[in-house]
Amino acid sequence: MDFSTLTINQIRQGLLDKKFTSVEIVNFFLDRIKKIDPQIKAFITITDEFALNQANILDEKIKKGESIGKLAGSIMAVKDIYLTKDIQTTSSSQVLNGYIPQYSSTVYQRLIDEDAILIGKTNTDVFAFGASTESSGYFTTKNPWNLEMVPGGSSGGSAAAVATNLCHFALGTDTGGSIRQPSSLCSVSGLKPTYGRNSRYGITAMASSFDCPGVFGNNIEDIALVTEITAGKDIHDTTSVDNKVPSYSQNLNKVNLKGLKIGLPKEYFTGAIDPEVKEKVLAAAKEFEKQGATLVDISLPNTDLGIAVYYILIPSEISANMARYDGIRFGQAVTDATDIISYYMQTRGKFMEPEVKRRILIGTYALSSGYYDAYYTKAAKVRTIIKKEFTDALKNIDVILAPCSPTPAWKIGEKVNDPLKMYLADVYTVCINVAGVPGLALPCGLNSQNLPIGFQLIGNFFEEEKLLSLGHQFQQFTDFHTKKPQL
Amino acid sequence: MKITPIIGLEVHVELKTKTKMFCNCSATHFHIDPNTHTCPVCLGLPGALPVPNKTACEWCIKLGLALGCSANLISFFERKNYFYPDLAKGYQLTQLEKPFVINGKINIDGHDIRINRAHMEEDTGKSVHITENGQDLTLIDFNRCGVPLVEIVSEPDIISPEMARNYLLKLQQIIRYLGISDADIEKGSMRCEPTINLKIEKDGKDFYTPLVEVKNVASLTGVQNAIQFEINRQTQEFEKTGEEKSKTNKTTRGWDADKNQTFLQREKEGSSDYRYFPEPDIPHIEFSDAEIAKIKSEIPELPDQKFVRYQKDLGLNDYDVTQLLADVNFSAAFEKSIGQNPTAAFAKFNANLFLGAIKTYFNESKDDLDINRINFDYFKNLFDAVSKSEISATAAKYLIVESYQSQIDPVYIAKNEGLIQVSDTSAIENFAKQVIESNPKAVEDYKKNPASIGFLIGQLMKASGGSANPSLAKEILERLLGP
Repeated sequence: MDFSTLTINQIRQGLLDKKFTSVEIVNFFLDRIKKIDPQIKAFITITDEFALNQANILDEKIKKGESIGKLAGSIMAVKDIYLTKDIQTTSSSQVLNGYIPQYSSTVYQRLIDEDAILIGKTNTDVFAFGASTESSGYFTTKNPWNLEMVPGGSSGGSAAAVATNLCHFALGTDTGGSIRQPSSLCSVSGLKPTYGRNSRYGITAMASSFDCPGVFGNNIEDIALVTEITAGKDIHDTTSVDNKVPSYSQNLNKVNLKGLKIGLPKEYFTGAIDPEVKEKVLAAAKEFEKQGATLVDISLPNTDLGIAVYYILIPSEISANMARYDGIRFGQAVTDATDIISYYMQTRGKFMEPEVKRRILIGTYALSSGYYDAYYTKAAKVRTIIKKEFTDALKNIDVILAPCSPTPAWKIGEKVNDPLKMYLADVYTVCINVAGVPGLALPCGLNSQNLPIGFQLIGNFFEEEKLLSLGHQFQQFTDFHTKKPQL
Repeated sequence: MKITPIIGLEVHVELKTKTKMFCNCSATHFHIDPNTHTCPVCLGLPGALPVPNKTACEWCIKLGLALGCSANLISFFERKNYFYPDLAKGYQLTQLEKPFVINGKINIDGHDIRINRAHMEEDTGKSVHITENGQDLTLIDFNRCGVPLVEIVSEPDIISPEMARNYLLKLQQIIRYLGISDADIEKGSMRCEPTINLKIEKDGKDFYTPLVEVKNVASLTGVQNAIQFEINRQTQEFEKTGEEKSKTNKTTRGWDADKNQTFLQREKEGSSDYRYFPEPDIPHIEFSDAEIAKIKSEIPELPDQKFVRYQKDLGLNDYDVTQLLADVNFSAAFEKSIGQNPTAAFAKFNANLFLGAIKTYFNESKDDLDINRINFDYFKNLFDAVSKSEISATAAKYLIVESYQSQIDPVYIAKNEGLIQVSDTSAIENFAKQVIESNPKAVEDYKKNPASIGFLIGQLMKASGGSANPSLAKEILERLLGP
């Protein structure tokens, strides 16, 4: 039986109806990973023993007629920056090679508590710094649609794992587009919720005021189900928000498309955009129009400042967040240093990847006395302006529709030596993070090279319910999300 | 040449909250097994996030308000970045731009010392340097890492080592009255870093010597001595080099208590860059006016207010009041002993007991005064008995300590131990007659020199087994012996 095409609810129902067992599901996915993962290299760690143990416990519960969690038996892959107690967590950096956390991240734990089964930890750009997984300290994940191409990033491993049905859903994080952009490049759905909707506790920090945990799935129904479990206040994260969590999965048809005003920001359809991307994204907008929605041209004039603001503020936060990787309490460290300063320098010099060092340097520079006001303070002010630009725009329209990436997947190696070009890959995603609003990425077809293209729906703060409802309905009248790469 | 010292003090105080500043670990760390009060947050493990301790924030505000500061209704934390093995996160959370409270003052001997701010931060771990098997090792204990610290920064308004000492004593006293810290300098729960330079008036011009910050001063005397040493050193240095303060020549000096001198630790303080920026893991903290008012209302009566009340309402003198207020526990016990609306005589009586017998007892026994063992009724009964001359003032001193220990009414103890004075005139007269009869020599002496009556009184007291009221005894002896 092919368990990979079932939804989370179908899996749970099948278990309750005793059509199959959790162990069968896990073995199916382990076999599939064994066959497919060597080609795409989505996983850093495959948690076979852990998964089988979970499955046995779950099957035992079902046998005894005990109640089971909402995600019972569904297979999840987790980006390797989420701490998983007793299971290696590397953040794709050599600094954390072999690091076994003593506690678990909140979002992951909430899913485990609902009987989701962890199948493995996925590759990412190092500490989520990147847009292609190429900065990983271990290896580069391949785009399953074309193995010479990048899967996008930073959550490229999670996106590729979902695209190839190596799991039912996967956790990622989106600091500047790291869920939406790889979703787009791999043809899966992915939700970046409002900042503060999901707890950041137990996820290695990139840029604390931007980091946004979220989920990839094959369909919106699954994403809604997972999000209503992960979302909500966490006492361990004071930036997590106490707003009520709607039953996303119960309200997927709630929003009426008739009369819905969809804004198309002109700044996202001009300039460096690939013509085929533009065409497919506009075609997706037309699909909504066919259902009665109105398309409105809007302008977000400060969009071009997004990258600048982003690449000043995030390295600033990164430079401090990386300070704890000093080799004193955990992680890899040199053993032959002669004094504390050389211990720091050699440990960080040897085990930190180039992209980590680059961002520490940029951030340290931006925060330095004499530069702080010109860079950090200024960027923080522009951030407020961009935030306002989104909330103002969303007063007159219901939702914004835009591409996730100016281009489809590019060749591995093509941008690695040109960091600025790599940073520009985030041009359509970062402003959403700068503002903190939610964005939902959805597949909308393939280009002439058979490479996926996606788009994003952007809502106001805490409008995940609206985005998921629109996304779900889109997936009812289109079938882009059902397309899978041939491997 | 006229020299005026310019002294500012940065004082760190460890709050005695139950839990640490940003996690739920116990905040106690004195004599605790190393690294047992730790968790992912205070160990700075990957992914861990700080959650501010509300009580600590409120206590910081309370202290500020007690120092006459005003509260910032919106404040936030910043990261202060530097590397040190006992600084787990590689940055310290502190407050730079918007501290909880600003602009207060303390009056020391009629001289206002302005308080710039009181802000909240976290303590670091402790590095212990040892040698084991001939190898130099540094061990780190993270129990202290994340313990709440309030930093109180004064303006450079202090002009003498004595004033610095009195400022610290006053601050310590206020903190202890608020009950938010032990503020014990020897145990490190209060730490002080003076910054000193001099204003030198010479040839009609003003010169300012370079700023010096002194670290590692671990006692009140040390602070005073270090400041005095710096005043002398800077004076000599100025005479030698004429160097004046600039933006870049602030230095940090350590204090060597054994040699009684400061030594250069770091030059060019201005060049260190902590790259402060707002802590993104904690949203801005807001307090409403009502919340600030509530915190203010919870401030107990402070030593200055008590001083006035003790003088005015209790009629106590300056010296007694100062002594009584020196220790918060001591003054609380005193207040309990006098109850509501005491007479001046009763207050004075208790004050004498507290500053005499009780203080001596605790100084000698090294015990801590337990306020639960202070019983108003016992003090009142004792006072009444002494007033009626049933118990002597000398016996009262002994009885109050006995009573504290045994928790028995001192008058009852006096009865049991035969310490009730005989004030029955006829009984004393009988003793007096016996004494006169058996001491003819002394009687003769008295006739020549009435001042020698003391011997006869002593004999009478002896005969009565110490129970006679001595003043009555004197009166009766004088009457019987005649002029």
